[in-house]
Amino acid sequence: MMKVWMFCLGLLVSSQAVAAPVVQQKILDNGLNILLIEAHNVPMVAMKLVVPAGSRFDAKGKAGSAALLSAMLTDHTQKHDDQAWAAKLDDAAIRLASGVDKDTMSFSLTVLREALDEGVQALSEAVLQPGWNQQRFEFLQQNAISAVTKAREEATTYAAEEVNKLLFPNHPYGHAVSGDVQSLKRIHLKDLQQVYQQQVKPNGAVLAVSGDITMDALVAALKPYLNVWQGKPVHVFSDIKSPQPSAQQSAFVTLDKHQALVEWVRLGPSRHHRDYKALLVLNHMLGGGGFGSRLMEEIREKRGLVYGVYSFFQPLETNGAYTIRLLTKANQAAEAEAVLRDVLKDLADGHISQTDLNKSKRNLMGSFAQRMDSNRERAGLLAMMGVYKRPLNYLQNWTKSVSSVTLADVKRVAKQYLQPKDWKRVLVGPDGVQ
Amino acid sequence: MRKLLWITVFFLSFATTAQAELQQASFNNGVKLIVEEDHSAPVAMVQVWLKVGGRDEVPGKTGLAHVFEHMMFKGSKKLAAGEYSKIISAMGGNDNAFTSTDYTAYFETVPAAEVNRVLKMEAERFANLKLRDKDFQSEIKVIMEERRMRTEDDANSRMFEELSAASLRLHPYRNPVIGWMQDLQALTIDDVRAFYNKHYVSANVTVVVVGDVDFKQVKKVVGKTFGKMKKRAVEPRFNPTEPEPLGAKRVIVELPAQLPMVAFTLPVPSWVPGQNDKEAAALALATEILAGGKSAVLHQVLVNEQRSAAGVGAGYDPFTMGLDLWYAYGALGIGQNVATFETNFWALISDMGKHLPNARRFAAAKRSLIANAVFAQDSLYLRAKHIGILETVGIGAAQQDKWLDLIRAVKPEDVRDVIARWLKPNRATTGILQPKHNVARKGA
Repeated sequence: MMKVWMFCLGLLVSSQAVAAPVVQQKILDNGLNILLIEAHNVPMVAMKLVVPAGSRFDAKGKAGSAALLSAMLTDHTQKHDDQAWAAKLDDAAIRLASGVDKDTMSFSLTVLREALDEGVQALSEAVLQPGWNQQRFEFLQQNAISAVTKAREEATTYAAEEVNKLLFPNHPYGHAVSGDVQSLKRIHLKDLQQVYQQQVKPNGAVLAVSGDITMDALVAALKPYLNVWQGKPVHVFSDIKSPQPSAQQSAFVTLDKHQALVEWVRLGPSRHHRDYKALLVLNHMLGGGGFGSRLMEEIREKRGLVYGVYSFFQPLETNGAYTIRLLTKANQAAEAEAVLRDVLKDLADGHISQTDLNKSKRNLMGSFAQRMDSNRERAGLLAMMGVYKRPLNYLQNWTKSVSSVTLADVKRVAKQYLQPKDWKRVLVGPDGVQ
Repeated sequence: MRKLLWITVFFLSFATTAQAELQQASFNNGVKLIVEEDHSAPVAMVQVWLKVGGRDEVPGKTGLAHVFEHMMFKGSKKLAAGEYSKIISAMGGNDNAFTSTDYTAYFETVPAAEVNRVLKMEAERFANLKLRDKDFQSEIKVIMEERRMRTEDDANSRMFEELSAASLRLHPYRNPVIGWMQDLQALTIDDVRAFYNKHYVSANVTVVVVGDVDFKQVKKVVGKTFGKMKKRAVEPRFNPTEPEPLGAKRVIVELPAQLPMVAFTLPVPSWVPGQNDKEAAALALATEILAGGKSAVLHQVLVNEQRSAAGVGAGYDPFTMGLDLWYAYGALGIGQNVATFETNFWALISDMGKHLPNARRFAAAKRSLIANAVFAQDSLYLRAKHIGILETVGIGAAQQDKWLDLIRAVKPEDVRDVIARWLKPNRATTGILQPKHNVARKGA
C-alpha cells in the first residue's frame, strides 16, 4: 500500500522548465539499444536493462513465471552458487535487483564509478549465465508463495484481483504479476527456462544508463561481456491486443478491516495514444496532482473523509487500468463515493476553466526537472523511452507538448473518459460495504 | 507526513551521507541556517526543522506533534487554508512535511530561483498561523483515517506499535508518533494552540537548504525572515534515562492476518560524539553485517540455510537523542514456526557475540556503508534530511564526515563485543503477530 501511494505521487514530483539533459544513443551489433545521460556530479552509475518479458508472457495458468524468473536470475549463476554470488556482489557494493511489470522484466544496477567494471560484469553474468539450480528454484518458489499469502492481508490485493476480472478478462494483463498460490505451485523450472529462451534477448532490449560516464567508456566496459549475447525475442513489446472489459459493473469483497477500500476503474490510454498528454493534464486536475486536485479538495480538504485520494493510469503497450482509489472508515464509503461521482460528472460536463488548466500545466511542466534529479530516476525515464520508442528529443519536447494542450483538448478527453457510468466499482471492506 | 508517508521508527533505514562542504550561520534569536551548495541542476531543497516531535508530548496528548504538522497547512495571516501548497505547486514545486519522535520538518523542492520566496512564505506561516477550530475538526478526522490506514488496518504495524509500547517503561519512544486513537479523539484546538506557543519558537528552528543557491544570499533572506522571529527561551527537552531491562518480555498480538511475524527490540545507545564513538559505530556495522546486502548474515543463516523465516531484517538508528530501540524481525512463511525462529535467531546472535565476524563480510559491510553515503548524495532530499536530523537531535551537522571515519576505524572485535554487550535475550522484548484468520467473501 505504501509503495502504491508513493508511486502515485512520484508521478508528479516537481520543478521548473529547464533545459532537459541530452540523451545519447548507441545500438550495439546485437541490437541492444543503449541510452545514456551523462551526470558527473556524483561518482556513481545507475543502469536499467529492460527486456520484453513481463507478466503478460506468463503461460496460461502459470501466473508469476516472469517474476520467479527475474528472482532466479539475480539469485545465483552458472559460475556462482547463491552464497558465492551474494558475497561477490557485496564485496564491491554492487546493488543489483530485478523486477517485473505487466510488459517488462528489468535488471537495475547501481554502482560506484570505481566499481563499474565489476558491476557490468555482474549484470551480464546474471542475465547471460543462468544457474538453473533446482533447489534454489524450489526455495524461491516457496518464498513467493509465502509472499502472495502475506499479501492477502491487504485490501489492495483483493481489489486488484477483481479489477483484473472486470477490465482484463482473458487478456495477458489480467493476472497479478506476482501470481497466486495456485498458479505458483504449477510452475516448473522448465517454464522459466522457456520464458528465458524466448524473451531474454538483446535485439530490441534497452539498456538505460545515467551517471558519471561517457558513451565511449560505457560501450568499452559493456562490449567484452555483452557481445556474446545474441538473438531476437519471439514476441516483441508491440505484440499485444487491446483488452475487452467484461460487462460486469461492480464487485465487492468482505474483509475484516476498519476502512473500506474504494476503487473506481476503467481502461486508460496506452503509452502510444494520441490523447496521452491531454489525459495526463486532465488527470492532474482530477486526482493526480495531490493537494489542489479536485478529488483531494472535495473529499479530504472539505470533508475530512480520507487521508488520501488519488487517480492514476498505467500507460502500457496497450491500455492499462485507469484507477481512482481511496480508503475511508467503512460507514463513510457511500458519502465519499457520492462526492467522487459528482467530481467526475462536473469534469465530464466541461466545468474546467482556463485558470484550472494553467495551474495544472504549470505544476507538471515545472516539476519535470525534479523527475530527473537523480541517476536512478533518469535511468528509469530512459528505460521507458527505449521500451515505448519515444524519440531521443522526448525529454526536451516534454514540456512543450504539455504546454500545447488546450482547454478544448482537456474538455474533449474529460467528456470521453470521465463519465461516471463508464467506471466500474470495486469495494473491499467490512460487512455491508457495498 | 501530511500526504505521503509518516515513517515509523521501525522502518527508518539509516542513511549515512557526507562529503560536501556545509556553510552555517546562527542568528540572535537562536535560528540556525545550514546550506550545502550544489550547482549541478537549477533546483533546491528547502527544509525547516523543528526541535519537537512525539517525544515532547505529555501523556494523554500523544499525536499532537503530528497533528500540528497537519495544521501548518491550514492557513496563516496572509494565506488561506491550502493556499501555501497551491502556490508551491504553481511554481512547479512540491511540498510536504514529516514528523518523527525527535523532530518535525517541513520541506519544499522548488526551482532554485524561487528559494527566497519560499523562505519568506515559510517564515510567514510559522509566525502567523491561524489555528481555527473548524479546520482542526476536519483535519483530526483526516488524521484518524491516516491512523486507520497505517496502523489499525495493518497487522504488522499494529504489532510493532504494541511491541514499542511494551519495550520501554519510561522513555517517550514507547508512544506512537501518530498518537493513540483514544488521545486523537480527545485532543482540542486549545491543545494545538498551547503546543504551538510552547514549541514553535525561534530557538527550535533550523533551516536547511541544499541545491543551486548562494549561501550569502540565503543567509540574507533567512536573517530578514526567520531571523526576525521573536526571541524566546525554550526549556531543555525531556530526555530520561530508560531503566535497564530486568529480564525478557513478550507481547502477543492477535489480529486478522495470514502469517505470523516475530520481532525483537532492545534498547541500545545512539551516537553521542566524543562519548561513545566506537560503540555506536560498531553497533551500526554489526547491524549492517547482520542485515545489509545480499550476504546479510540473518538472511543467509535464518532464511537460506535454516529456512526458519521467509524474510528477515534488523535496524539501528545511531542518529537519535541518546537511545535507540534496536530491532530485528522475521516474517514467517507457510509452515514456519515462531519458536524455531526465536531459538535460531538467539543461537546465531549468541554465536556472533563469541566469535569475530567473517573477515570478508566485515569488509563488505564497511564498504557498503561508505557506498551508501555516496549513493545518498544523488538525492537532495536525503542530503538535506541527514543534515537536519544530525542538527536537530543534538549531534551537530558538522559531525557528518566524522561518522564515516568512525565506521572505517571499527575493528572486528568491536563488532563482536557490542553484540555480546547489547544484544542479549534477557534485555529483549519479543513481539509476536499471531494471525486470527478470517476468510474474504466475494459478492457482485
